Amino acid sequence: MVKLTKTLITVFFLLLKLDNKDVLSLFRVLHWQPNAGTTVNTQILNEVSQCVESINGVKEGRWKATLTYYKPMLRGAFLFFSFLFFFFSFLFFLLNISWIFQFQFENPDQSLAPELPRDFLGISLPEQPNKYYFIIRGQRIVLEADSSIQTIMEKLQSYKSRVALYFEGFQYQLGDFQLRVGKVTPTHSDNLRGIIMEVEYLPLSSLEKSRQVMEEFVDIWQEAISKRSLPGHFMHIEPSFVEYGLSDHYSSQHTAVQYATVMAQLIATQSVQAARN
Amino acid sequence: MGRVIRGRLRSDDGVCGTGNYRDTVGFGVSLMLAFWLLMIKHVEALEILLQGLCGVHKEHLRVHELCLKSGPNLGHVGSEVRLLCDLEHPEPWTVKHVGGALRGSGAEQLSVMVRNMVESKASKNVLRLFYALGYKLDHELLRVGSAFHFKRGARITVTVSSINKMLKLHAIDDTVPVTLGIQVVEVTAPATSENYSEVAAAMSSFCEYLAPLLHLSKPGVSTGVVPTAAAAAASLMSDGGGTTL
Repeated sequence: MVKLTKTLITVFFLLLKLDNKDVLSLFRVLHWQPNAGTTVNTQILNEVSQCVESINGVKEGRWKATLTYYKPMLRGAFLFFSFLFFFFSFLFFLLNISWIFQFQFENPDQSLAPELPRDFLGISLPEQPNKYYFIIRGQRIVLEADSSIQTIMEKLQSYKSRVALYFEGFQYQLGDFQLRVGKVTPTHSDNLRGIIMEVEYLPLSSLEKSRQVMEEFVDIWQEAISKRSLPGHFMHIEPSFVEYGLSDHYSSQHTAVQYATVMAQLIATQSVQAARN
Repeated sequence: MGRVIRGRLRSDDGVCGTGNYRDTVGFGVSLMLAFWLLMIKHVEALEILLQGLCGVHKEHLRVHELCLKSGPNLGHVGSEVRLLCDLEHPEPWTVKHVGGALRGSGAEQLSVMVRNMVESKASKNVLRLFYALGYKLDHELLRVGSAFHFKRGARITVTVSSINKMLKLHAIDDTVPVTLGIQVVEVTAPATSENYSEVAAAMSSFCEYLAPLLHLSKPGVSTGVVPTAAAAAASLMSDGGGTTL
């Protein structure tokens, strides 16, 4: 009887675990905030990776997410800037100045349509390869769609990619946690723009219920990383999910919103640094 | 991408019109056969016939369709996108882009009109997103009817529906038919750019079974009325679809 009860309990927990795999676990996205006057570099990224391994993180494989900023294609601006582009291209061709060809015709004047969003971005996440997420931060909109929505956007020819970034690195297993540490780089170059870390807590998908355990883990992690005396620290800014109409039950839309928030923070940090320099 | 075929249907009541004939080609590409149909009194007969032919029960169809167009400055050319909310299953919504028709001699030889079409499921705030992106509501309509999904040489879907317009913005409970007593029959099937001619053939072959009630053709091509429609409908109604047509 006892054996049967034990078996039933085991089966119950196995089913619970299987069930939990269907439900998305909870993610927390952190980014590296460099100290004033310092910048991110690959040395810091290596140190962070070593730190994960030093606390018994088991390397599992690579991960990659892609984030794309979109900009509107404006009718008036297109004609105006096309004219400017061809005029100056011809002029500089005559003058044999090569740098004009590096100029990317990427900034049509959005003052022609000030009501259009400047912070429209799309994200593809590795845990949801068939989905795509659109976010407009200014209006607190997050949308989950099939990845074919990208084809529709291309066909509409109303928005196009302004800049695309990869978040890529390695994934580590650490008990009930999964850590992903990676770099932020533009898709067309290896220039390091930031360091990002995802902490996934597998057993729970309720934000409130997992808050304490997640915070305790992040505290332990911060303590471990602080011992390495690196010029910066990991930072977490929790967006107001309620403003985006998201519930306490964690979903990939929550992750997408966190990525958008992290990117806004990275851009703000780099703008401050650029202003100082 | 997708492809749509425009068709024309006539019944013996002399009711005719043009429509979309769609069918999916390539990843997300669709061919679609759609035909504007027939007096409302034959709808029940058609549904009995379809149920007998397909061997599946009809699904109720109640779809709120919103057509959005890009704002005046947005995009190098104007664009249009359709958002569909199945009122039986309010989430997810469907985002649909219907492209231009396939042209050329190959397309002319087909009995259907082919259009590029892409669909994507999306969360229910998709309308808010497109408004934020600078799209404006052009028109909206409510499609009410039934749908049949089955496999017969291709994954074919047949919908029989009435098109209704809303008297107030988004008032789905306050609608009037666009054309009184007329319903639309759409025959659709997914295909790829390699096999769309076979799919079109499969669809045409299936549509022949509907011939006693309706004829399908491309727009602008008159096929004449279907003289047998009234008799076929009466026969179907009398024995509940047991008669072999």
